[in-house]
Amino acid sequence: MRYDATLNVNGDSYSVEIEPHRSLLSVLRGELGLAGSKEGCDDSECGACMVLVDGQPVNSCSYLALQTQGREIVTVEGLTGASGELHRLQHAFLAEGGVQCGFCTPGMLISAKALLDSNPHPSEDEVRLALSGNLCRCTGYQGIVRAVMSVAAGSP
Amino acid sequence: MATVEQAPAAAPFIRQDGKDKVTGLGRYTADLSLTGMLYAKFRYADHTHARILRIDTARARQLPGVFAVITHADVPDVRYGAFVQDRTLFAKDVVRFEGELVAAVAALTPEIAAAAVELIEIDYEPLPAVADVEAALAEGATLVHEGWADYSAADEVVRDGNDCSRSTIVKGDIESGLASADVVVKERYVADMSHAVPIEPHAVVAQWNGDKVTVWSSTQVPFMARAGVATTLEMSEADVRIVVPLLGGGFGGKCEFHFEAQVAALARAARRPVRLVFSRREEFVAPDHRREGQVIELETGVMNDGTLVARRGRLVLDNGAYGADAPFFPQLAAMMAVGPYRVPHVSVDASLAYTNTAPSGSVRAPSAPQSCWAVEQHMDSIAGRLGIDPVELRRRNIVKPGDEGSTRQVYDAIGAAETLEKAAELIGYGRELPDDEAIGVACGFWPSFSMPSGAFVKIHGDGSGTIVTGAQECGTGAVMALPLLAAEVLCMRPEQFTIVYQDTDAGPWDAGASGSQTTFNNGRAVIQAAHDIREQLLDLAAEELEASRDDLELGDGMVRVKGSPTKSVEISALAETAAGDKLLLGRGSGSPPPVPDVDASGCTGRLGMESWVGPTFITHAVRCKVDRETGVVRVLEVAAAHDSGRVLNRIGADGQVEGGVVMGIGMALSEGIQLSDDGRQLNPYLLDYKLATASDAPPITVHWVEVPDPGAGPNGAKGVAEPPCVPTPGAIANAIAKVTGARVHRLPMTPTRVWEAMQS
Repeated sequence: MRYDATLNVNGDSYSVEIEPHRSLLSVLRGELGLAGSKEGCDDSECGACMVLVDGQPVNSCSYLALQTQGREIVTVEGLTGASGELHRLQHAFLAEGGVQCGFCTPGMLISAKALLDSNPHPSEDEVRLALSGNLCRCTGYQGIVRAVMSVAAGSP
Repeated sequence: MATVEQAPAAAPFIRQDGKDKVTGLGRYTADLSLTGMLYAKFRYADHTHARILRIDTARARQLPGVFAVITHADVPDVRYGAFVQDRTLFAKDVVRFEGELVAAVAALTPEIAAAAVELIEIDYEPLPAVADVEAALAEGATLVHEGWADYSAADEVVRDGNDCSRSTIVKGDIESGLASADVVVKERYVADMSHAVPIEPHAVVAQWNGDKVTVWSSTQVPFMARAGVATTLEMSEADVRIVVPLLGGGFGGKCEFHFEAQVAALARAARRPVRLVFSRREEFVAPDHRREGQVIELETGVMNDGTLVARRGRLVLDNGAYGADAPFFPQLAAMMAVGPYRVPHVSVDASLAYTNTAPSGSVRAPSAPQSCWAVEQHMDSIAGRLGIDPVELRRRNIVKPGDEGSTRQVYDAIGAAETLEKAAELIGYGRELPDDEAIGVACGFWPSFSMPSGAFVKIHGDGSGTIVTGAQECGTGAVMALPLLAAEVLCMRPEQFTIVYQDTDAGPWDAGASGSQTTFNNGRAVIQAAHDIREQLLDLAAEELEASRDDLELGDGMVRVKGSPTKSVEISALAETAAGDKLLLGRGSGSPPPVPDVDASGCTGRLGMESWVGPTFITHAVRCKVDRETGVVRVLEVAAAHDSGRVLNRIGADGQVEGGVVMGIGMALSEGIQLSDDGRQLNPYLLDYKLATASDAPPITVHWVEVPDPGAGPNGAKGVAEPPCVPTPGAIANAIAKVTGARVHRLPMTPTRVWEAMQS
């Protein structure tokens, strides 16, 4: 049995027909063609699939797509400006060496955005705690933490 | 002769693949989708050791939506293996570990594929499973490979039953050395297996065009994947094209040839493109490449003043069910067992035991973090016995230029001692600390790998350039940094170059993202290709400027006459001329640096590790806090001092140390494979197999002791990526022992194990 649903992602509205068991991640990557969110474990352990639902970071692999109806979803693709300009976090991740293989990067950026949206001037410990649901195997987190701190330092 | 004067000032280095990675627009293998594409699913062994009596795929084939079901009977009967040809694409007659492939299905949806593999009927005769390395080498043990003696193998591999590869390092006279010592210290350590755990699980997509196949794969080593497909499917290498989309990390777990041939065979049978994507559980039990467990027994003779005189070692490494690239690990581990110290009398014996567990293979500095963890704890134990400070003991024994290693390799330009002093200084060694904190120090070493490699450089009519390389980018940024090298030779700007990479039909052969070898070897190739262009530019400019070639120099994007700054021509103008005539095409390869002379005449199982090109040296100093009530350890601070020769790309090199140290912290404290008695992994999920998180990772200070090594890579550079995880677990172990007064003899040093060590 499939249900009609409307998903609001990155400011765009998508009409889809989906089965109730489908995860948000599978619909984003499948029907919507938004492959920026990654599947690293399908078990809420790695954070590579993280997106914002009404501003809150969630593991989209473990969130039912139908539950997001009427809510605002932001994926990594939604961080970039309308004319392609990079978000300050995206730029800082590159400048501070926070990107190596890049597979955790979409989820990391989402967690970082969720943190700074709610707490524009976090301490380093708060940054590390906010990112601790996102595993990175390349950077040792150092460049990522530097990047988030540098954006926070530049915030009004 | 013309010379290069000034290279353009270094701009902040932003990697070319970075924008795709931060915007989410970059594509990894699992993101690819082709018209008509099917989904692959493997059927794994139901036992860790069993004889296959019957396989019936009829019911699976009849399931609507299934397009192909294949087993060993459907592919060429070819045995393969880098050192010992001990395996086949699918199990033939016997299964030997839980992740062994028995069959594969291609179906319209992942759900149908998953249902179909369950419909494959397999009858087994269970055989006794061998899960422990000591049991595997015991008299009368069940053989993991009954027919081992009939397998073909490299001549140098010393094999016997369950011992897949034995290696010894012998120097001086161990018995008289031990007899002459004031004190002999003997210890035994055991390291559990661990995993590479790239965040991107394996993925493969295959599509046929006539008799040619294109395979998109999450491999670190596309040319080895190509050779593997060609060998096992009995094809020409020219008919196999491996393309690697963005690669989501590897750390060795994606080295070697893995699943490209099985997916290609499925696609051929189904006559449709096929995609395989691993689940996280499959990434744990079936990736064919995990870090091997080790048993390490060390016996050291030392004089009262701390001078090391003799080291005896016995190591047993867990090979798992198949040899993969592990047969050279015993020799590496035997070298590691002596450490970067002067020891006149050495006898180390290392074996690689077959067991019914997942195959071991190269994971970031294979064999080294485990053996270094044991050796460096042993050094602190010796220091304790003698009443000498651990750093002072190392200071008195660490190798310096002119000293010789355990195969009598004489070290040339090295900075081992400087790494020790610098790490101790940066951490503030000796300062007062709370009584639940301590500083631990460990030294390590690791070779660079000298390999063939190739690259082309093209300069286009508008003066921009393209580097075409066979090198593979696994995230380190090594390939992304190649434009820095070409630009330096040609006095151009790095951003003027694009890079074509990770496509075996485009780039020349390269060993891939393995052995910390990309900058070391492909850097050499790119520099040589750029020099080839440079010579062509000088020829063109000599004609254009009517000057002698010897009077010309490159600088600021121009070729000009030395001493006459007005007589010059832009490189872009020369490129425009060339575009209408003889094109600017540069090629580079260059012979790999030769291996240093050694005397390894008394050693057996020589697989190339007796001589180290460009040896790197590392000291890590860590400050840890131990909760005595719970055994929980926190790493508060790390100082990492490295000798990797000249550092060519600082932001990339720092990133390798930061990532390697945190991987080392994971290995030290939480990452270990738990096994059932019959060899099944009990913790194949990220909640049970715990990586260090951002909250676990401490601040890390990185220092480079830059001693350019003339016998090493470009401009005196040595390997960078693997050394950073080598000494971290040993340094943490020494800090734990300082706080608790107890040595933890088992890796990882989990809270339970730390607590238990304190009770004994």
